[in-house]
Amino acid sequence: MTERPKVIEKPDVLEQPDILKPQPPAPLVTFPIEVVVPEVRQQTPAVGQRATRADGRLHGLGQTKYIDDMYFPNMLFAKIKRAGIASAHIKSIDTKEAEAMPGVIAVITGRDIPCNSFGPSLKDQPVLADKRVFHAGDGVAAVAAVTEQIATEALEKIKVEYEPITPVLDPLESLKLETPGVHAPSSNIYGHKVIKKGDVEKAFAESDRVFEGTFRTQMVEHVPLEPYACIAQWDANGRVTVYSTLGRITLGRADVARTLGIPMSRIRIVATVVGGNFGGKNEIRAEPAMALLSKKTGRPVKCVFTRAEEFTSSTTRHPLIMDYKTGVTKQGKILGRKIRLVLDGGAYCSWSETTLGKACILSAGPYNIENLYAEAFVVYTNKTMTGAMRGFGAPQVCFAYESHMDDIAKALGIDPLEIRLLNAFDEGSLSPTSQKLHSVVVKESLLRAAKRFGWNGIGNGGNGNGA
Amino acid sequence: MVNVTLKVNGETRSASVPPETTLLRLLRDQFNLTGAKLGCDVGDCGACTVIVDSKPVNSCLMLVGQVEGREVLTIEGLANADHLHPLQKLFEHFGSLQCGFCGPGVIISAKALLDENPDPSTEEIRDALGGNLCRCTGYTKMIEAIKGASCILRGEEVPAVKSA
Ligand code: FES
Ligand code: FES
Repeated sequence: MTERPKVIEKPDVLEQPDILKPQPPAPLVTFPIEVVVPEVRQQTPAVGQRATRADGRLHGLGQTKYIDDMYFPNMLFAKIKRAGIASAHIKSIDTKEAEAMPGVIAVITGRDIPCNSFGPSLKDQPVLADKRVFHAGDGVAAVAAVTEQIATEALEKIKVEYEPITPVLDPLESLKLETPGVHAPSSNIYGHKVIKKGDVEKAFAESDRVFEGTFRTQMVEHVPLEPYACIAQWDANGRVTVYSTLGRITLGRADVARTLGIPMSRIRIVATVVGGNFGGKNEIRAEPAMALLSKKTGRPVKCVFTRAEEFTSSTTRHPLIMDYKTGVTKQGKILGRKIRLVLDGGAYCSWSETTLGKACILSAGPYNIENLYAEAFVVYTNKTMTGAMRGFGAPQVCFAYESHMDDIAKALGIDPLEIRLLNAFDEGSLSPTSQKLHSVVVKESLLRAAKRFGWNGIGNGGNGNGA
Repeated sequence: MVNVTLKVNGETRSASVPPETTLLRLLRDQFNLTGAKLGCDVGDCGACTVIVDSKPVNSCLMLVGQVEGREVLTIEGLANADHLHPLQKLFEHFGSLQCGFCGPGVIISAKALLDENPDPSTEEIRDALGGNLCRCTGYTKMIEAIKGASCILRGEEVPAVKSA
């Protein structure tokens, strides 16, 4: 007699493997460390302390491995041919002679890049320029050879025919609508922000004096001591490993996936020890080109920028042109301030939008200003691209608003320290975007600094250096 | 190709390399001594500093032809992990390096200074580091570390440094 198979009742809740079941809470572990959560305005214990770095010993022994210190068997060395012309159509690129050189294993151009555009926000940067050159530091071809020396020599053999286009170099020109677009048909203005508070025109009408000033800052390169470097290895399973100094590896992974046209799951980015970043290693540069050279050759490929390339072909700090207009009472109290910022974005957007926003928000300075109109534009020019750098626009506007404050104080015959104490933020002041501010110690800091360097005010034998 | 034989960190080494090879490339690519770094390749940054016959040099500016038979000391030859040179000990202790890329060059420059001048003033230390660029630290803690190391090497106690 055979037993009828039991009907298995379907449980209401599917049986879950153990690992998916909610686990009992882990027993509480108490640390013999008192966790100090600082109160608002309380000095944290870390400030002013000395710290020893975990990696300090290896640094001092010269044992830290930066990318250029890594070597993989059979590795090739790559160099990138730079356009050297600010704006042009590329009519042709002839790589035959370079490819024929002994020791050259592969050459690629922009046409070999599956999707030749990337960027942290706007996807306006080509990995290698193919049809158009947007700035002199653009790469137009990449060579992989058995030695760096051969790769460098091969660059000379690559013949590129350009049809020059008049470059747009002045950001104020670029701002005008009739100026030809760097990335035509798009307008050159690719970011804009306005902050409005109160009524500045009314404030100017009520002011005793109105001051105007224009301030400019220059382009600044990060100059990390370690130049840009990466190693790419495309393996036989179709997976790519990229050793990179990127500060934002997940973003870099997305950009590498986009440009190579393969899923992110096939890309592994290994973040290495970085020899200085300062914001200049926040997006990919040559990684996709190196990955493709590796795919083409079946060998790992390393690329290290020369110091010159670091200047021409990595991001820099935005130069700003800053117009300030400020209405004050005779005593120096600011009634209204109007600001226009023009950021020179260079050839590509990169982190311009972040920089634009931060510069605009901070442009009024740490002062209580009831009536404010701040407007910021970022424009394309045919110059080295600008991007993230320590402060994202904050240092540039600080130079402008503090210089402006000094000019006003001087014209009114007021001590530059006094005019700042009269206007500076207090605890609970509202920022230009109406954020309530805490832990505000601007005045205390100013007074302490003035005391420590012996500031006596302009009338009392002070040395005239601004606070 | 040229043949070159020299002493590196006390060991006799030779290689056959193209004549345009710099001492820095020779050390890094042929001898796998990657402690000295390539920061600029034109003599501006000092990341490649090594000692050649007791003088600090930018190894990126020296060609292999100039090093035949000479004695080279690199950061790897200064000490090992069990036994740090006082400079390395104090650079670690004071947190004198951040990214560390300039470190080997700076420490080698400092070593060359202390070999010549066992009790340098702050000015003299600054002078000795004149060819070494550091983008991270601002040099203050390096100078403290070098002063401290000079004390240790003279058999004196390292004076306490006050917090910022
Ligand atoms: S690499 Fe030699 S001085 Fe910069
Ligand atoms: S520690 Fe980064 S350059 Fe000196």
